[in-house]
Amino acid sequence: MKGDPTFWILARATGLAAYALLTASVLAGLVVKSRPFGKAMKPATAVDLHRTLALLALGAVGGHVAALLADHAVEIGVLDVLVPGIAPYRPLATGLGVAAAELMVLVYASFSLRRRIGQKNWRRLHWTTYGLFALAAAHGVLTGSDSGEPWALGLYLGSIGAVAAATAWRALVPPAKPRPRPRPQPAATTEGA
Amino acid sequence: MYRIVIDGSLCSGFGTCADLAPEQFEVGPDGIAKARVGESDDPNVLEAAAQCPMGAIAVFDLASGEQAA
Repeated sequence: MKGDPTFWILARATGLAAYALLTASVLAGLVVKSRPFGKAMKPATAVDLHRTLALLALGAVGGHVAALLADHAVEIGVLDVLVPGIAPYRPLATGLGVAAAELMVLVYASFSLRRRIGQKNWRRLHWTTYGLFALAAAHGVLTGSDSGEPWALGLYLGSIGAVAAATAWRALVPPAKPRPRPRPQPAATTEGA
Repeated sequence: MYRIVIDGSLCSGFGTCADLAPEQFEVGPDGIAKARVGESDDPNVLEAAAQCPMGAIAVFDLASGEQAA
């Protein structure tokens, strides 16, 4: 490592933030159907949260990429952050991150294109979120300068465990059904006779 | 009285509408929600439209002609 470490530190921080936000977004997406919080979180609210967190995660990924391009601790160029596996710094592990980021953009953009690509294709594409989450986790563990720290290991293990638990809940526990409100009865027209 | 319109190309079959207004909505065998009736005075259709995770339901107020949810 050489020179000013500011952008390197920023790259690490934004990378960890992106991973934490991605995890939170995946968890919010998993509770849309399973509704583990019952009335406390409506499905539409969960979707809003899911999409907002995904957008924030993409913003953090953008910051991560910008910091890596600005940094000179390791030489990473524009092509390196677009084509998986060609970066001079830990090419395989960096490539996993590039692939994860590109899939994130694709999955996020697909929500607005549901009518055009069809609901079935959109759902198939959405399933790749599990793959991109795994790629992001592997990228973080293998390239992260902080991966050996107990708190970083806790973050990775905790996030993977949380996503696995939320997936199991969704698959195994029937969702709590919201109750319809009783329909208002028409007012009586005769009273007291 | 409300007119219910479901965009089948957006519905993902979560079934929230059928839970909230079971007399007005059902999820078909193809996993897509369908309106049992085209029009209803049940205010739960408003909640069903508002809570559809995919934003696939529109409800129009027949009296004003405007979209109510």
